[in-house]
Amino acid sequence: MAADQTMTRVVDRAEITTSDAIGEAIAQAMEADPKILVMGEDVGTYGGVFGATDGLLQRFGPGRVRDMPISEMAFTGMGVGLCMAGYRPVVEVMFVDFIGVCLEQIMNAMSKIPYMSGGNVRMPMVVKTAAGSIGSAAQHSQCLWGTFAHLPGMRVVMPANPHDAKGMMAEALRQHDPVVFLEHKALMRRKLSAFRNGSPVPAEFYRVPFGKAAIVRPGSDVTIVTVSKGVEDSLSAAQEVASSDGIEAEVIDLRTIVPLDMETVCASLRKTRRLLVVDEDYLSFGLSGEVVARVVEMLGPSSFDKVVRHAMADIPLPAAKSLEDAVLPGSASIAAVLRRMG
Amino acid sequence: MSTVPVVSPTPIERYRAMVVMRRFEEACIRGMQQKEIHGELHTGIGQEGVAAGMLGSLLVGDALVSTHRNHLHAIAKGVSMQALMAEIFERETGLCRGRGGHMHPFDREKRFSATGIVGSSLPVALGYAYAFQLENVENVAVGVTGEGGSNAGAFHECMNIAATWKLPFVILVENNGWAISVPFNEVTATSTVSQRASGYDAWGQTVDGLDPDVVATAFAEAMLHARSRRGPAILEVTCARFRGHYEGDHDGYRPAETRKRMRESRDPLKYYREKLMVLGLATDSQLATAENSARDEIATIVAAVKAAPNPDPSEAMRYSFVGV
Repeated sequence: MAADQTMTRVVDRAEITTSDAIGEAIAQAMEADPKILVMGEDVGTYGGVFGATDGLLQRFGPGRVRDMPISEMAFTGMGVGLCMAGYRPVVEVMFVDFIGVCLEQIMNAMSKIPYMSGGNVRMPMVVKTAAGSIGSAAQHSQCLWGTFAHLPGMRVVMPANPHDAKGMMAEALRQHDPVVFLEHKALMRRKLSAFRNGSPVPAEFYRVPFGKAAIVRPGSDVTIVTVSKGVEDSLSAAQEVASSDGIEAEVIDLRTIVPLDMETVCASLRKTRRLLVVDEDYLSFGLSGEVVARVVEMLGPSSFDKVVRHAMADIPLPAAKSLEDAVLPGSASIAAVLRRMG
Repeated sequence: MSTVPVVSPTPIERYRAMVVMRRFEEACIRGMQQKEIHGELHTGIGQEGVAAGMLGSLLVGDALVSTHRNHLHAIAKGVSMQALMAEIFERETGLCRGRGGHMHPFDREKRFSATGIVGSSLPVALGYAYAFQLENVENVAVGVTGEGGSNAGAFHECMNIAATWKLPFVILVENNGWAISVPFNEVTATSTVSQRASGYDAWGQTVDGLDPDVVATAFAEAMLHARSRRGPAILEVTCARFRGHYEGDHDGYRPAETRKRMRESRDPLKYYREKLMVLGLATDSQLATAENSARDEIATIVAAVKAAPNPDPSEAMRYSFVGV
């Protein structure tokens, strides 16, 4: 698709935010595919609580961009029915924490129907939802990507920068599989120029394929495997320990955890023999354990000198900043772990 | 090929459809006893008047989203009975290649699906209703639930949305009085589900599912209401669940005497046969002919299904992700 200036709200491309980039991808895809609908709370007039769907209502009308009542169970299920009727719905669940009231349709219908129907019914549905901490405590700060990844049948993707956000949303909107698209709240309003890992965001349509991790910082001493905002935090920590301690960390952004690109991870580990998994999601039974288990299976237990998991503690995220800092991985805590790993 | 008529059935055809449904469910029960089916089975025996009453008002383009007790609704929607039974019997030739099983039949062409999660049929049907409005077509989406499922929150969410935007949406409440072992009136604030319609400024009615003609009249009215864009409708049909919740349920929460009386006085097949005779709408020999042909049709299907292969274990991982 050719670049369309009416689609690009941001004149200075260096100032584009993650939200802008996602909005561009959706608008360009909606332009090309009349079967794409956007539905959710405050996605229309308000333009999304992080601004990602700003302008879509005016451009595509209320039939295709629909503000929903606070009825997540109904409208996630509507997404399932719309897929059966030949549509490609983008269903926004404002914060991933709210998934509790509608996980039923996600885990029992959307993700299972393609298989349960013997391939007869496809669910090209995108669940767009905001994850991660912005200091809003236990019910508005979770990541939960490990929860989705544990349940079979969903692509689980989490872009870490505006370039990937646009390209991965574009990719999500051509999948025949259901996709859970997790946006980090702290990155949504951040401008491209403020990202450490800030590739330019082309105005024209492009895609970032799923299942291909990115090495966002090369290094030889330790491999950091992470996703989402963990990428920015890890880059910051890597920079710090490189200058202060001469530790060169290789930082890998998995970008998607279903599918999970273990080849890139294993290739790095053959070089560094040290693995640090940084995950803002809960520590136990999640991404960090899965990555470690897979590398052990693939490379053998003697292939490592050190394996560390640095993830959100297994408690509800506390409100007080002093407590939050104590339990949530951030650049300072990642740097401290890297130093301890030596 | 299903011989159950879906357009303008005559009384004899409606009766025959109920007999087909009864024989179909009995065949499934035998399949369970013969270990052709290794999981759960929920039959609609005693509830045939509801599905038979839907015949005549469902267009091919209408959507029907059903429940764990879905076989009769699938038959009413024109789903191939052989493909449906093969799915229930877990065969590769099944509607879903044996991946779905009896609670999860999906027929995209016939716009029929079901869910095993009680109450969750309604939001999916609502999605179809939204699509029909968007496309400005005359189709209607029907979500079936039991009276038990009508107490799930999704019921309210869906009625509110459908009524607010006047979506072509019909909730068919199959009220058999029992949510497994819990009686309707012990857990429900009102004596009917349909009286909730007034809370949404919607169409609502409760009828007795013993007589498929009564159901047909009410269902036609509900469908016409939704089809003419006057908003959603709640049609509640009372009926009797002859067997336990599932095959193997001891059903001990209902006294044996009550169950016996129910089977005698609330059998739609028996009732409708007598009605057609009394009204002179059919002769005994016509009805016997219908009964025999229904029996033979199901027997042929059972034979074909039993001869069909089970899914190949090497293909267990197929039909998950397909990518782009």
